[in-house]
Amino acid sequence: MSNRNGSIYGLTILSPIRSDAGIPHNLAIRTYLAELPRDQHSPFARLSSTHMARLAVLDDKEYLTTQYVVFESNFDGDLDIYLTRMARETPNFVDSVWKHCVGYPGVSDPLAFTAYMKKCQLATTFFFADVNNKTVQQTLQALRTQRSVAAFILENQGKGGAELQKAFAELLESLNAREELNQ
Amino acid sequence: MSKLNAADIQGFVLRGYVFPVARFLFLEISQDNGQEFVGRLVSHITTGKRWDERPPSTVNIAFTYKGLVNLKLPTAPLLSFPVEFVQGMKERGWILFDTGRNSPENWDAMWNEEQVHAWLGVYAESAPELERRCGELQALMLATRGAAVVGSQDAGLLKIGGDYCNKEHFGYTQGFGNPDYLAVERNTQPGQGKLRPYGSWAPIATGELLLGYPDEAGELPAAPIPNLLAKNGSFMVYRKLHQNVATFRSYLEQQGRLYPGGVEKLASKFIGRWRDGTPVELSPDAPDPALVSNPDRNTDFTYGRDLAGARCPLGAHVRRANPRDAFGFHGALVNRRRITRRGLPYGAYTPEGGPVSDEDEHGMIFMALNVSISRQFEYVCQQWIEYGNDARQGSDKDVLVGNHEAGETFMIQGTADPRNPPFLCGGLPNFVELRGGEYFYVPSITALKMMATGAVDPY
Repeated sequence: MSNRNGSIYGLTILSPIRSDAGIPHNLAIRTYLAELPRDQHSPFARLSSTHMARLAVLDDKEYLTTQYVVFESNFDGDLDIYLTRMARETPNFVDSVWKHCVGYPGVSDPLAFTAYMKKCQLATTFFFADVNNKTVQQTLQALRTQRSVAAFILENQGKGGAELQKAFAELLESLNAREELNQ
Repeated sequence: MSKLNAADIQGFVLRGYVFPVARFLFLEISQDNGQEFVGRLVSHITTGKRWDERPPSTVNIAFTYKGLVNLKLPTAPLLSFPVEFVQGMKERGWILFDTGRNSPENWDAMWNEEQVHAWLGVYAESAPELERRCGELQALMLATRGAAVVGSQDAGLLKIGGDYCNKEHFGYTQGFGNPDYLAVERNTQPGQGKLRPYGSWAPIATGELLLGYPDEAGELPAAPIPNLLAKNGSFMVYRKLHQNVATFRSYLEQQGRLYPGGVEKLASKFIGRWRDGTPVELSPDAPDPALVSNPDRNTDFTYGRDLAGARCPLGAHVRRANPRDAFGFHGALVNRRRITRRGLPYGAYTPEGGPVSDEDEHGMIFMALNVSISRQFEYVCQQWIEYGNDARQGSDKDVLVGNHEAGETFMIQGTADPRNPPFLCGGLPNFVELRGGEYFYVPSITALKMMATGAVDPY
């Protein structure tokens, strides 16, 4: 089944870039992308179901008549929900890139935006998602748990019997409490 | 496979010299007289020819990119050198994790103040011979005015209990596992080469060490032009690694009290060899003098039957640096990441139990030879030493030489056997600190002569 690998959706979007005389659209996109934060300030941190995303400007004069914005994203869950979130939660980012693209309807109407992106979509027939079929949240939770268990081991290794059991019970309790918080 | 012309290859590349003392002179090369200096130096250079009688000392030379510029190599050949060599090691810090305490501001002054154009390596059988040979070379520099010494580093085998030995300052015996290469004459040992499908070993391609020969991909590796400048040459990585012996000993002692196997076993788990050199993978419970002294056995092991790290931890140093078959595919993923090490300790050994400080001059001059610094050394450093993903250790770095960050641990996977339990080492300090280094090109004798006479083809 295309576009899916287990629980992960592999989105591939190619949006043709406008060519208005005298306006360097592709350069504007490149400049914006070069400065886009890649840390917790990235728009994809907000789009928290994103495992990995990539944006590029495609300019192949030998085979293509137009330049394209290439947007690829591996995320958890449903495509419509993801695209709607893009329109609602990261409108500045979406505008900054896609206002330079042909046919872009803006983000004020998420349904129109979703339909537009689906028009730009290519079927992703085969992709590798190095994520153990876990969601982003499950993965982060697992990392936090690992860190807590490592801290527990460092604190308690070498202790015996009752003391160790008591400490372990406390660890389990705090891990369970954290998990309930995240449900 | 034809035999190598060992007389055209510098001896330092082809064999690890076993001399007790060495001095590495770092030179500035004069633009005006550099070629003359190199021309007169060539007859002093030790080649890879077999010795009928061991010479009392050896001399070898290697150049940085700036050195080649000052030797007036024409532009086209200069531009054909690999980018990492042209940039030099200081510029590659972002790849090598030479940050924080390993960053250049903490390096020896020479690397920041002076222009290092060349490495002149002198090994000798005694201190007087070392002085004599270096004096000879200094006289040559003076006579030609073609070079001047801007820095110097003494190194040599450690003397423990009055005798020279193969140990380094943390007490580990070293010198195991350098690769066997096709056509390079040497005492072949099973385990040094690449793995074949039925458990035997074969030498790896000559072109992993020497330019101008097919490499493990079956191709001639990317090389500088013209061919005569490149063939029989190699690239050397030089890194001065200061060792925090006090921190290491106290950490080992502290953790060793918690670790049920004890101090020596813990030390063996860090590296993947006991301190006498016995491989942990073959002998996880105790050192084995018979095994380690048998060249047919002491490097002949694989990890295929220990993928859980029950014997040799997944993050142990030797397993990280040379994963052998740990990634499957009969080790094919590793064959293009091998390096030849020529390291030598510097500083005097402090006996166990004696007063010791991290400030003491204790360390290792790490030197590695390979045909592609970026594909071989830099890859191993960035991906396998300073990162743990391929070893399934997340972001954990090599426990002994890694540039540690807060939160890292070293995991001994262990088993359910109470004598070999799982154990986690945390609060990892930096046991090793970088104090300088550079990337060098080690030319063939032919290339040296061509450079000396300005005969390198400009096109």
